[in-house]
Amino acid sequence: MISNSGQRVRRQSAIRIFAQEFAEANLTERGTGEYDPAFVITKLGVKVNRALVCGVIERLDRREGDNGPSFSGTLRDPTGNHRFNVAPFQTELQLDIEELHARFESGDRFLMALIGKSNWFEGDEGGIFTSFRAEEFSVIDQETYLNWLIEASDATLRRLNSHERSLEADLTPESLLAVNVPRDLIEGTISARQHYQEFDSETYKLGILKALSSALGKNNLPEVENNRGVEKINDTSDVVSTEISPEDASVVIINTIKRMDSGVGVEYDVLVEACTIAGISRESAEDSIEDLRDLRGDIIEPRFGFFRLPGE
Amino acid sequence: MSDDGKYKTQIIAVKQECSEANVDEIYEEFKRYDEEFLIPPEDALRSVIRKFQLASGKEETNFSTPQKIEKKVNRFSELSADDKNITIEVSVVSYTPRVQNVRGEEKQIAFGWIEDNPWEEVSNRDKWDFKDWGQHSNQLSPNSIVRLEGVSVNEWNGKKSININRSTRVTVLSEGDTTPIQISNEPSNIAKISNSVGFGSTIGRIMSLKADVIIKKDGSGTLDIFRGKIADSSGSITFLSWVPFTFEEGDLIKLNNISVRKFRDTPEINISNDANIELYRDSNFLSMDELSESSESSISDLRNGMRDITIKLQITSWDHRKFTAEDGTDRIVRSGDVIDPTGRCRLTAWCDFNPKVGDYVIINESRAQFWQGSPDLVVDNLDQITILSDAPWENIDPNNHWVDVTMEELSLGGSRRGIRISSTLVSVRKDSGIIFRCPDCRRVLREGICTEHGEMDGVEDLRLRFVLDNGISNASLLLSKDASEIFLEKTFEEIKIEISTLGHDGFINYLRKLTLSKTVEVKGRALVDEQGTMILAEKMQLLQKSVEISASKVMEKWGVEL
Repeated sequence: MISNSGQRVRRQSAIRIFAQEFAEANLTERGTGEYDPAFVITKLGVKVNRALVCGVIERLDRREGDNGPSFSGTLRDPTGNHRFNVAPFQTELQLDIEELHARFESGDRFLMALIGKSNWFEGDEGGIFTSFRAEEFSVIDQETYLNWLIEASDATLRRLNSHERSLEADLTPESLLAVNVPRDLIEGTISARQHYQEFDSETYKLGILKALSSALGKNNLPEVENNRGVEKINDTSDVVSTEISPEDASVVIINTIKRMDSGVGVEYDVLVEACTIAGISRESAEDSIEDLRDLRGDIIEPRFGFFRLPGE
Repeated sequence: MSDDGKYKTQIIAVKQECSEANVDEIYEEFKRYDEEFLIPPEDALRSVIRKFQLASGKEETNFSTPQKIEKKVNRFSELSADDKNITIEVSVVSYTPRVQNVRGEEKQIAFGWIEDNPWEEVSNRDKWDFKDWGQHSNQLSPNSIVRLEGVSVNEWNGKKSININRSTRVTVLSEGDTTPIQISNEPSNIAKISNSVGFGSTIGRIMSLKADVIIKKDGSGTLDIFRGKIADSSGSITFLSWVPFTFEEGDLIKLNNISVRKFRDTPEINISNDANIELYRDSNFLSMDELSESSESSISDLRNGMRDITIKLQITSWDHRKFTAEDGTDRIVRSGDVIDPTGRCRLTAWCDFNPKVGDYVIINESRAQFWQGSPDLVVDNLDQITILSDAPWENIDPNNHWVDVTMEELSLGGSRRGIRISSTLVSVRKDSGIIFRCPDCRRVLREGICTEHGEMDGVEDLRLRFVLDNGISNASLLLSKDASEIFLEKTFEEIKIEISTLGHDGFINYLRKLTLSKTVEVKGRALVDEQGTMILAEKMQLLQKSVEISASKVMEKWGVEL
């Protein structure tokens, strides 16, 4: 049988991806060979081994370890936060990250581009938390950031288009090729479609609209998604039905904060536990907290790990 | 605070959390997020609060790595009901997929039996139930032995079982029952088999055929072979038959059980005793005349090792060189630069061919060999060359002939000269900067040592190395000293001074600030091999892109409206 010619050991390309798509991914793939690349596979079917991400520095923490300092930080784009870290063994990056850390600590905030390799850890309950191990980074100007927003929008729209096409086809490479799913997305699409439940791709479109609006200097974004959450809160009682949707997770979280916040905020674990008791998975609860905090702004995290409603 | 009341709500929220923060500073911070980082105030609230908390030393950041305690066991009996993150090797007895309704959603799960102690007799094993929540059907075939990492124990009514989670890593240690691989004898078209290596079947018309002789390497004699080319509407491919070949040019044949191998970078059909070739009847199949047009190549199609090439070219330079062959005879080799609309390459003639610059020619049965990754067409006899009276294209200016290519075209194609490409720089390689070359062979010295000539006094040189990447394909990019000087707008001496001032790491950091995640236009040549694509730049410049135009193009392409 004719097979594809031998796999070439080639550098993995840097996927342009917004924070939301990467953070929502919980499917990972690691080959058994020592040098096999590892991937995070997103709901839109891209296998991410390396990515180029940009955003404003949101957090940059330094931690001393036995082998030297390590750094963890987040870059914020219009859809959420990209987590990254620099390990002690990355000695060639230490000087630059120390310099950025000093700038951050002095209160400066700046735009950054970062090329990183996909990384993840698994929570005790089996949740997957994705991040990047930095390979290279640099402070960038606004024009470079705007161009990245457009590139990432283009790449995400391409994946959305591919995902929609794949819904019409069988999950075989031949069928996917026949409906014009790009070759680079075929493997990931098959894995993603087998792993993830059906999902509403509108949330990704909203992220793209936000990015393109930012790029074009328009910040009057559609408020549809934000309003939806607020309306729900108003007409929902504390009684939680047995049929829980992600939307209901938001309600549980907001109601729990309303009920329990005595002025210092409600702890992360308490919110997750409230959701779990209501029959919502830990993963959905964590996604909802992030969504309410980063996308909708319906809750705030004034202290790390403690959540409040804005204005209370 | 500004009089316009902008950010008023958000400023109040920040003051609630950080009472000592200065209102004007809060305003400035929201303004900066809004205008510089393009994050509207409602979205920037959390970031601004965090910033002022950090400034006042209020926030207690508490980053603790999640505790992940792994439990490795050999027997089920070592497990208790609340054990998680377990690693164990098991034998799979059965695997039954089922669709189950979980909280209103249909989920594909599977259940079955597994046995511990898989390397021992069955009588020494315990059998437990398991549930697979992670669709590991490919790795959990019955009778396989697997290592499970990250499973947990579930206890129900006093009976313990194993949960194989989505995040569980399953490593197959011994293969179980497998589904037999279906081998298709359906013929593939020539384009498809050309992209593959292995065994298969195809149908094509014989476009050329000639008997040839191969001299055995061990000197034990010769082998009679046949070389030729077949074509269909999707393309053409050369073949090499190691067995007598009884067909003729123009015959339409079906080739079963042939192998496709690569000679250098070029796929070629190999016909051996196992192959089965028969005449094929299809009155709609393209004729030789129709196919001969489609089998004509262009410079962008050339691959190392290609044979039997028909191609039209424009001569842009021509010269000859005398040399003494190994047998002591004086010989002349003629060569020059040639172009077509898809690129440029060299042409070498081992015959008395003396064209004028600007002539158009068509050459037949030529072969392509690559020198330093650049294609070189070779002809041996004058009868392979015809000077064309009519120009096949409008005269191309060789001094300004750059063919625009995409990263995908480059990575899927062969080595080419005269290309122009735009893409994003995603990496500055650490070995950019001053290097020392061997004065004899120009190899880069490593710690003063040439791999060919040993310890040498190196000659200083400069090179910059980057990676170009469009998110789907990538290429390494090399700028020689001249190209680096043009790009950095500095002389070699000035760059040397800069490197000595900044230090090597500082120079790399400077290059990153200058180029990382920026779009550049590169002119040069591309070398493509199994390691990937390398572009040798003659010139590189940063591209200024209009954000509005780029955004509009993306919105138009995908039908997005704001």
